[in-house]
Amino acid sequence: MLNHLNEKPVNPTRVVLLGARGFIGRTLVSVLQRAGIAALPVSSADLNLATDGAADRLAAMLQHHDAVVMLAALTPDKGRGLQPFLTNIHMAASLCGALGKVTPAQVVYLSSDSVYPIATSLVSEASCAEPDDLYGMMHLAREMMVKSATKAPVAVLRSTLVYGAEDTHNSYGPNRLCRMAHKDGKITLFGEGEETRDHILVDDVAALTMLVLRHCSIGTLNLATGRSISYAELAKKVAVLLDKPIDIIGTSRQTPITHRHFDVTAIHKAFPTFNFTPLDKGLAKAHAEMLRRG
Amino acid sequence: MIRPVIGFAGMTHLGINSAAAAAARGFETVCFDTDAGIITKLKSGKLSIVEPGLPELLERSKQRFAFTTEVIDLKHCDVVYISADVPTDDQGQSDLSGIRALIDTITAGLGRDAILVILCQVPPGFTRTLALPKERLYYQVETLIFGRAVERAMHPERFIVGCAALERPLPPAYGAFLSTFGCPILPMRYESAELAKISINCCLVASVTVANTLAELCERIGADWSEIAPALKLDKRIGPHAYLGPGLGLAGGNLERDLATVCRLADAYGTDAGVVRAWMTNSSHRRDWALRTLHGEVLAANPKAVIGVLGLAYKENTHSTKNSPSLALIAQLKPWRLRVHDPVVPASAVAHPDATGCASALEAAQGADALVIMTPWPAFRDLKADQLARSMAGRAVIDPYHVLDGKAVVAAGLDYFTLGVPPLRAAGSTCASPQ
Repeated sequence: MLNHLNEKPVNPTRVVLLGARGFIGRTLVSVLQRAGIAALPVSSADLNLATDGAADRLAAMLQHHDAVVMLAALTPDKGRGLQPFLTNIHMAASLCGALGKVTPAQVVYLSSDSVYPIATSLVSEASCAEPDDLYGMMHLAREMMVKSATKAPVAVLRSTLVYGAEDTHNSYGPNRLCRMAHKDGKITLFGEGEETRDHILVDDVAALTMLVLRHCSIGTLNLATGRSISYAELAKKVAVLLDKPIDIIGTSRQTPITHRHFDVTAIHKAFPTFNFTPLDKGLAKAHAEMLRRG
Repeated sequence: MIRPVIGFAGMTHLGINSAAAAAARGFETVCFDTDAGIITKLKSGKLSIVEPGLPELLERSKQRFAFTTEVIDLKHCDVVYISADVPTDDQGQSDLSGIRALIDTITAGLGRDAILVILCQVPPGFTRTLALPKERLYYQVETLIFGRAVERAMHPERFIVGCAALERPLPPAYGAFLSTFGCPILPMRYESAELAKISINCCLVASVTVANTLAELCERIGADWSEIAPALKLDKRIGPHAYLGPGLGLAGGNLERDLATVCRLADAYGTDAGVVRAWMTNSSHRRDWALRTLHGEVLAANPKAVIGVLGLAYKENTHSTKNSPSLALIAQLKPWRLRVHDPVVPASAVAHPDATGCASALEAAQGADALVIMTPWPAFRDLKADQLARSMAGRAVIDPYHVLDGKAVVAAGLDYFTLGVPPLRAAGSTCASPQ
C-alpha cells in the first residue's frame, strides 16, 4: 500500500535517475522533460555504481531537494546467477552509501514482481515476498537496503513484465513475440502458451512513477494492470498486428505451467483516476513505433 | 419459588435486547447504565438502535422494566448480567478496561447472594481473573445478530454457560431464568464457554470464506454459486442453515475481533492459526470486489461517471456502520460524484467531498452512470428494473448481494454484476474496458 505525503500532486524540484539509459529510464526521462521537470539522467557511462568510490561520486551529485529514482540493474538477460547478483548488490550499496551522506526528498526504487514466488498465482502487496532465484532475491535485498539506508520517504514499485518498442531485453513477452513474427513469420511458444502473465506498457510504468514522485508516496506498490493473458492469446493479438499470416506454433512442454495474476486494488486506492493502456492499444502502439524505428 | 429479578448492566444493543426478552418472559427487569442520557431515552420509550420487533416488545412488557443509573437499584436483583460493549481497535484488539471498571462498580452493589453473569465478548481466561466468589460468577455466550436480535434473544437455540465448578448445579435463580426459554443449557468450564463463542464465529467465517472463495471462481469459470449452494445445504454434513451466501468480507467488528483473538492466542501459545489469517486475507480481498468491478467496468471507460450508492449500514436492518463495506467503498471514490441513500443511516455519515444524500433509492439512481447496492436492505428489492433503466444515465448495476433479479435487470437493458456468477450483459453490451 502507498501513503502520500502530498495529497495534491507537486512537481519534484529535480529527479535524479540512476539507470537512465535503460528501457524504462529513457521513457521516464522523456516524460519528465515533457512535464518540464528538471532531470539528471545518470547512466553507467556517467557513473558506474558497481565500482569503488561510486558512493562518494554519487553523493557529490545529489542535493537535498532531489527525488532519486533507482532503475540501475543488470537485467535477467545478463544472467540470474551469482555474479550479476553481487554486481547488483554492489550498485545498491553505492546508492546506500550516497544516501547515507545526502538525504534526498524522496527515493523511488523500481523493483520487480520476481520478489514473489511463482507459486503465488494471485499477487497483491500483502503477498509474501519469497523469491525463487537470485534475481528476485537481489531486488528484495536492494529494497531492504534502500529502506534501511535513508530517512527519506521511500517508494518501492514492483513491476510486472514491461513491454514497449524500445525494450531490447528480448524476454518472453510482447516484444519478443513481435520480433519473432516479423523475422520468422511465425511465433513459437513454450508448450501451447498456457501460462498467463500481466504485461504493462512502459508508458504506464512511467506515468505511475510520475504519480509516485508528484505525491511523494511512501510504501510498496505492484505495477501491473490486473489483467493477465495467456501467451497463446498474446500471440494471437501480436499476429493480427502484422499484415501477413503468422503461424503460432507450440512446443513440447519442458517446465510446469505457472500463472501470475495481480490484484491491483492498491493502485485504484492510491491513484483512483489512473487508467491503464488496454493491451490491444499498447501492442499496436509498440508495434507502430517498432516499425518506425525499422 | 418467587420469580427471580434480572438485572442488566449496560444498555447496549445486546443489553437492551436481552432485557426486553427477559421482561417479555415475565421477569422483573432492572436496566442499568452509567449514561444518564441513555436511561432517560429508554424511560421515555426512545430507542437509538434499530431492531425489528424491539419497540413492540418493549412496549408489551413496559410494566416490568425499571431503568436506572443507580447501582443500588441492582441490589435486589437475583441475577445481574454484564452486557456492556467491549470496544475494539482497527486490529480487532479488545479494550477490556471499561468492562473491568463496570464489573468493579456493579460488584460493589450486588446483593449478597446475587449471581453475576458476564455476557460480553471477552477473550478466554477473562472470567476466571475476576475477583468475585466463583460460585456466584458465570459466563454466558451471547449470540446477538444485528437485525435479528429480538428473535435470537426470545428464542435462543441453547444457552452456553461457563462455570467454575461443573459438578455444582446452576444456582436456582439463574437456572430458573434460563429454563424459561425452553432450550438446552450446556454448562462447561469458563474457558470453554469463552472459546465456544469464538468457535461459533470461526465456523461461520469458515463457511462464508468457502462461499466467497468458490463464488469468485464461479465468476471466472462461468459457474453460478446460487445453483451450487442449495445442493450443499442438502448435504447433512453441511446443513440447511449453513452460512453459504457470498459477501463482501467481514464487517460489524465482532467476527474480526474473534479472529484477532485466535491469532493472538495462537501466537502466544505456539499453535497454528494460518487458516484464520487466510480467512482475514480473503475478507480484505473480497471487500474490494465492488471497487474493482467499478474500475474495470465503469470508471476506466467513463472517468467522470456519477455513481449511485444504495446502503450505508454494514448490513441490513441496522443503524451500525462499523466496518461497513459501503463506507469503505465510498472512501475510495473521492474523485467521483456520488448519490447515496440508506433507509436508516443519514448521508451525513458519509465522509466524501461530493456526495448527495437522496430521499429514496430511485432518486439515488437518477442520472447515475453506475448503481452500486452495497447493503441488502429489503426495501431495495422493491426497485423495478425498468424504472432504474429509465432513471440511470449509464447501465451498470453492481449488486453484490443479489438484491435485484439479475435477469430482469438485463432485460431492462442494464448490465448486471453480482457475486458468484459472471457478469450478465444486456443485449448489445460489450465489456467496458477491453483487454
